[in-house]
Amino acid sequence: MLRKLTLGLLLMAGCAAAVLAHHGWGSYDASKPITVTGPIETSKYENPHATITVKAADKVWTVTLAPVSRMQSRGAPPELVAVGKTVAAYGYPSTVEKDEIRAERITVDGKTVEMR
Amino acid sequence: MLHEAPQVLIALEQSGLAAAIRQSVWAYPAANVGHIVALTLFAGSVAIMDARLLGAFAAAPPADVVRPARRAAMLGLLLMAVTGFVLFTAEASHVAMNPVFQIKAALIALGLLNALFAGRALDAVLADTPARVPLPTRVRLSALLSLMIWISVAACGRLIAYF
Repeated sequence: MLRKLTLGLLLMAGCAAAVLAHHGWGSYDASKPITVTGPIETSKYENPHATITVKAADKVWTVTLAPVSRMQSRGAPPELVAVGKTVAAYGYPSTVEKDEIRAERITVDGKTVEMR
Repeated sequence: MLHEAPQVLIALEQSGLAAAIRQSVWAYPAANVGHIVALTLFAGSVAIMDARLLGAFAAAPPADVVRPARRAAMLGLLLMAVTGFVLFTAEASHVAMNPVFQIKAALIALGLLNALFAGRALDAVLADTPARVPLPTRVRLSALLSLMIWISVAACGRLIAYF
């Protein structure tokens, strides 16, 4: 019993340490915002978040957008983020995934939509 | 710790079921809401059960509180598992590699083992213990452990989104 208790406490301490490492909007570095601009190469209008890949000047970025119900209610239907559209996505680079940003807002066809 | 998701989870994420969950506007949010509602049922009944084992509500015979609370907890756990499976399936290979999810999975295993071991002898103890009589120390210890584990599981569940 004591050993189980100790093991449990250790695991919980692990969880607590994880809490301390928490840094804002998921695992994205809000101190280094960037804007990724270019044509949309792929588009997934899916939960839990829509995602697009954007061919920017430097490389192809994966841009994580909002849940689909929010996209719809904010005025960003699938057609707005369809393949071939040119998008400017302002967001924060992932600290985990390479070449991925989470968009704060996107601008397509002169229309800006907030993702948060 | 694994550095790549197991093949079976990659296959799960690429399955038609997973695609259907992701492509539906309501399936994922509905599972999300259902998971929280099931959590309130599960955590509430676990808390009542463990609180009684620890000595709260002492005027009631422990069996009268613990047995119905345990049944409600099992229903809550079943609903959590079903809704959790939907949430997990949509992003199986990513979620499985999330460090907080891995801690959560280990804690769930620990919580279930604790319930299994403590539960085996519990019925006999409950039948023998009238109201206002403290339960044996090992029963109270496992109830305390249960409370701490399941609260940690809930915390980890919420924190998956932040890592």
